[in-house]
Amino acid sequence: MSDPRPVPPDLPALVRAALSTTEDGARGAPTTSDLSIDEELSLHALAWEPVALTTGYAVVAVPAGAWQWGQGEIDVASSAHERAFTQALRRLESDVARTGAHGVVGVSIEREVAPSHIAVAVMGTAVRPRGAGARKGTPFVTDLSARDFARLVASGWEPLGLATGASFVYAPRRSIGTALAQQSQNVELTNFTDALYGARERAVERLQRSAMSYQGAGIVEVKLEEGPLRFASHAVGFAAWGTVVRLAGDQHLPMSPTLVVSLDDETRAFEAQTLE
Amino acid sequence: MTSSTGPGADERAGAFTSALSAADFAACLALGLEPIGLVQGLCAMQSTSFGRGVFSLATPMAPSGGYLANYPCPHGFVTGEHRPFGQNYEQTWLGHAWRDGYGTARTRLVDAARALGADGVVGVVEAETALADSGVLEFSLRGTAVRVAPGGLGTAEPFTTYLSGQRLAKAFEAGLAPVSIVGSFVSVRVWASCVTEFLLGGSPLQTWSSPSGPVEIDQLADAHARGRELVRDDARAQLRGGHLRAARLEIVERELGPGDIEIQARLRGNSLRPVGEAVALATPQPTLRLS
Amino acid sequence: MSTHDLPEATEHRLEELEHGLFTSDLSVNEFLLVKEAGFHPVGLVMGSSIYHTGIQTRKWGQSQELTKLTEAMYNARELAMTRMEEEAAQLGADGVVGVRLDVNYYEWGKDAAEFIAVGTAVKAEDGVSRRNQLGKPFTSDLSGQDFWTLSQTGFAPQGLVMGTCVYHIAHRGIGQTLASTGQNVELPNFTQALYEARELAMTRMQDESTRLGATGIVGVRLEEKSHQWGSHIIEFLALGTAVAATGAPVTLAKPTTIISLDH
Repeated sequence: MSDPRPVPPDLPALVRAALSTTEDGARGAPTTSDLSIDEELSLHALAWEPVALTTGYAVVAVPAGAWQWGQGEIDVASSAHERAFTQALRRLESDVARTGAHGVVGVSIEREVAPSHIAVAVMGTAVRPRGAGARKGTPFVTDLSARDFARLVASGWEPLGLATGASFVYAPRRSIGTALAQQSQNVELTNFTDALYGARERAVERLQRSAMSYQGAGIVEVKLEEGPLRFASHAVGFAAWGTVVRLAGDQHLPMSPTLVVSLDDETRAFEAQTLE
Repeated sequence: MTSSTGPGADERAGAFTSALSAADFAACLALGLEPIGLVQGLCAMQSTSFGRGVFSLATPMAPSGGYLANYPCPHGFVTGEHRPFGQNYEQTWLGHAWRDGYGTARTRLVDAARALGADGVVGVVEAETALADSGVLEFSLRGTAVRVAPGGLGTAEPFTTYLSGQRLAKAFEAGLAPVSIVGSFVSVRVWASCVTEFLLGGSPLQTWSSPSGPVEIDQLADAHARGRELVRDDARAQLRGGHLRAARLEIVERELGPGDIEIQARLRGNSLRPVGEAVALATPQPTLRLS
Repeated sequence: MSTHDLPEATEHRLEELEHGLFTSDLSVNEFLLVKEAGFHPVGLVMGSSIYHTGIQTRKWGQSQELTKLTEAMYNARELAMTRMEEEAAQLGADGVVGVRLDVNYYEWGKDAAEFIAVGTAVKAEDGVSRRNQLGKPFTSDLSGQDFWTLSQTGFAPQGLVMGTCVYHIAHRGIGQTLASTGQNVELPNFTQALYEARELAMTRMQDESTRLGATGIVGVRLEEKSHQWGSHIIEFLALGTAVAATGAPVTLAKPTTIISLDH
């Protein structure tokens, strides 16, 4: 992203003054943030400020034998994933609420699916309008970066929370006879399609259902990821998550972007291709 | 290191060295900061068990201060295979050793900068190297010493920051001045209780019916939560009047044996101090690049 | 499962969306630009097909199209695309933007692959239908950014068009190899094979766009993949968005020239 602002001419004076002063500049309690300086400035332009680095973690047991080959959905894994994800978010929310912030942006999500347990770790920077007091109700959670958050808010929208859904299924078995008969043919494996397509749909359906509790208008930046299932080759899992948003005011504010052509050399005009 | 460029030396007397990229160097000059030389701070620490965990006791080691939580067995069995209790405890000796090592390296970095007459060190890079299996952890901090041109301010306590270039310039514009780099480390050991061990799949013990629905592994979740909390609290205590900015929290979970887990939390960042009023920034103009 | 029979979970999910909630995998920037272009997202739509590709014998020394594999690759993608379109139609959408076509391989399925199409269904905010001349929602692999830019040029997407060709490139005999060792020579049959395969893929893509009554194709990509067939069998896949002029005036502003200072 380019920055059209010219560098203020008095920058050296600003630096000299900043480094000469011995005043204890900290006003109020010290705050913490894992936002980059660029992201912090995006918040700054919006008159928001970071408050604290906040985290949430949950780990849920998956009963022994859950991954042994079976039929249909692996309910214990799907519900363990959901529980771990929502508990981690609840803990993040209470961590945020404790700091008096209004919400948390740039939330990173790390998921671990092990044979015996599913763990979800979330982390992000709690933020609030500059100088604002505590907010009523549950703080919002979003995995949007501070920059995207700022862009969204500038367009009249607000994030409400993170919605999630997951579905784990067994890959169907094919009988030897079918396998041989299909050996030389082009054919859709409809039972496989049913299983996987169904699992993707269920993950997104659960995502939608969890979004409805926020009473938002929609979900943006939906991620639909496979796995991670490194230990079970006969099972497939899909997890979906995204930020629930709604219009904060009466209407969407158009942003009317300016078109720019960059003179940077970053695009190569010619790119050699190899076949392998 | 630039021994020829001592305090008060004519700036043309010796060439400066700098690890800054050309763009960061230009940004530095635009800030009115002139690079003086490359400075570093090193410290090697010995501790009882950096590197691989060597831990084969049947019962956990008694912790010395710090976080400690007990997870008693709800069953009341006394057999050789059944753990009588579980514990989460902060491995305080590891945390102390890490933080001492980091702190000493930082002090040496600042000392080296002061000796050059610098007002601060920008663009700090660090390396943390565990010398394999010897229980030695080496900290190495490097950065570019700068002073306010011309002549410097003669700062008693030069600042340090991981930031450089445009990011540092933007921090100043946002009304934030660098104070110090901040780093902290906490290690929490999880000695699983019989329940935790069962849930983690370490034992086929099935003396109680597993409740319906998903079951959380509280002991492990507690350890994760406390590790993060402790490392944040420690970092906050190092801020010296600033705010922690552009920080990074890293979590490593290692399984040292059945039902024996170590959780490491590392937090690094910059203490930045608000000075004066922040320059009000214009709302950025959205653009779309035609390529 | 026929193409008209979406999984049960789909029906549930799409019914829920009719209550006004939208889902979208667009980024914030894309979402805002789609709004800027006068569209509103209505839902994440997808289609999937797990397809078993048959076996085709080929001659070691002959370059030829492997029609059976071509057919498989085309049919499987077409199934996934059609299902995605059906989901969009069920939502009453005018089109689908940001379509991604992926192929996944799993450990349990030898010679089988999952073909998947995912995109965000959108609907015009002015209520005027933007469906294509077949009465179906348009599909497009354009990003939100490109979609907005295109909308400013007086063109509208009609459909994601593709053509594919799986080609076997002849192994060369030992005699030939020896004869040309140490020399710089063109390998005419090699050149010819690559040329023909690409040509076939492109022609098929163009045929699709003609069927949509499009005036052109933008953002054409030509992908070459060997999938799991070894190095002498290559799929040439041509993909692009067919567009037609809407008669709307060009409102694209003259771009500003910039030099970015970040790196």
